[in-house]
Amino acid sequence: MKKVLLTLFPLVTVLLMVQGYHQAIYVAPDDAMQGYVFRIIYYHVPSASVAFLFFFISLIGSVGFLAFRRSSPNRAQIADAWALAGAEVGVVFCTVVLTTGPLWGRRAWGIWWTWDARLTTTLVLWLIYVSYLLLRRFAAGPQMQTLAAVLGIFGALDVPIVYMSNRWWRTQHPAPVFGGDQDSGMKDPTMVHALLWNMLAWFCWGLLVLFLRYQVERRHQEYAAIEAQEALEASA
Amino acid sequence: MSSTLWTHLAKDLRIEWRSKDAINSMLFFALLVVVLFSISFDPRGAFAQQIAGGVLCVATMFASVSALNQAWAREIRHQVMDAQRMAPTSGAELFLAKVLANFLFVSIVQIALAPVFLVMYNLRVAGQAGLLALVLPLGTWALVANGTFFAALAIRSRNRELLLPLILFPIFLPALLGMVQATTSILTGDSDPWLWIKMLTGYDIIFTTVSLLLFDVVFHAE
Amino acid sequence: MDERNILDHQFVVAAYTVTWVIQLGYLAFLGVKWRSEKRNAERKSRPAR
Repeated sequence: MKKVLLTLFPLVTVLLMVQGYHQAIYVAPDDAMQGYVFRIIYYHVPSASVAFLFFFISLIGSVGFLAFRRSSPNRAQIADAWALAGAEVGVVFCTVVLTTGPLWGRRAWGIWWTWDARLTTTLVLWLIYVSYLLLRRFAAGPQMQTLAAVLGIFGALDVPIVYMSNRWWRTQHPAPVFGGDQDSGMKDPTMVHALLWNMLAWFCWGLLVLFLRYQVERRHQEYAAIEAQEALEASA
Repeated sequence: MSSTLWTHLAKDLRIEWRSKDAINSMLFFALLVVVLFSISFDPRGAFAQQIAGGVLCVATMFASVSALNQAWAREIRHQVMDAQRMAPTSGAELFLAKVLANFLFVSIVQIALAPVFLVMYNLRVAGQAGLLALVLPLGTWALVANGTFFAALAIRSRNRELLLPLILFPIFLPALLGMVQATTSILTGDSDPWLWIKMLTGYDIIFTTVSLLLFDVVFHAE
Repeated sequence: MDERNILDHQFVVAAYTVTWVIQLGYLAFLGVKWRSEKRNAERKSRPAR
């Protein structure tokens, strides 16, 4: 049963991607105001949603690790694997958001970038989780996971603060706003459908990659545990 | 203040008073940053008023990092950290004492730097100057509290000195924004700084609380 | 008017291409990681002492 699912899911994901692409490029009409370039939204918005969801998953993993550290070490390791996978895949999707966004903005609103609440928060989120990944790479030893989990919590805590402070900044010093209410521009049901197809496709893709990353990390944890055990026995 | 807190604080202050390592390097670094910015941006007239807040904050950030980097280094040497861990006191008091000590050092640097700033940038305070005495400590506290905490996080990593600013600055960004906006609005008298003062206060309370709660986790993570 | 459309089209192509380069690049990176973990596991299960 599991094998069937494992081979079926990637296949379904690829099919959804093809359907999403078809919807985005051939079925959905040009936007009334932005024209052809509006189609970037079908990749940009789903990527943003997946990124935020995965950063949230990473936060849950970090909290779970700290909670289960002493009481249930195996569960803690699982939590830590989710924390890392969520962060890393989240950064990948967030990178997509930060590259497709300016490409869209340049053609649609004439500017590559602006320091409004949404963009600034996305950028800071990217910075925080890249720094999280750097900590995991540079910190040594068994306590690395604990330290990373703590940083993960701090980072997640910061995000709403960044968003609100930037909103206040922009009420005092108004600047161009990217996108405005892009959802309100979607009155055409064909466009909504195209977006939903791509949402589904990218969520499936994201889950697939997240799961793969999780599995790689679990394998790595087992290997590291065996290595530590051997080192312990060798020194005994 | 509990006696343990005072003991830790007195120790850090005494060590610093004897060597004056941190303060000297911070002062010089901050001064360098101010001069560098002046040469890069040529502050004149109204423009100087606009950027002075930002330059002061960035100078404080860079100067603080140089001090924070060796905030815990002293404790690592000669296994002082292990002794601290075995003591029956909570890690939170050690943490708070370090933050207070570093806060004092950075504030001294800021006060020393203020006349230099006023001179080099020809600053006139258009708004309520007294509020600066509220804004600067709030922003500095945010920097030092988070910085001391993250310095403890980075202590066992290979590139300790490099890692600290990398993990500190993204999280510090909203406090930087608040500090710069509040300072600029006080200097130029353009807008109301109270929104930012409230935001900074909220930021300080949230992150100091979380740091105190999680410090023991980090401290005993060996 | 026409150059505007061409540029729009190019930007859409660029955005979609960048997305797939990033996603597939990461997938390739994961593949390399998977292979190295598999090799580690084999090395551990058959200690060549």
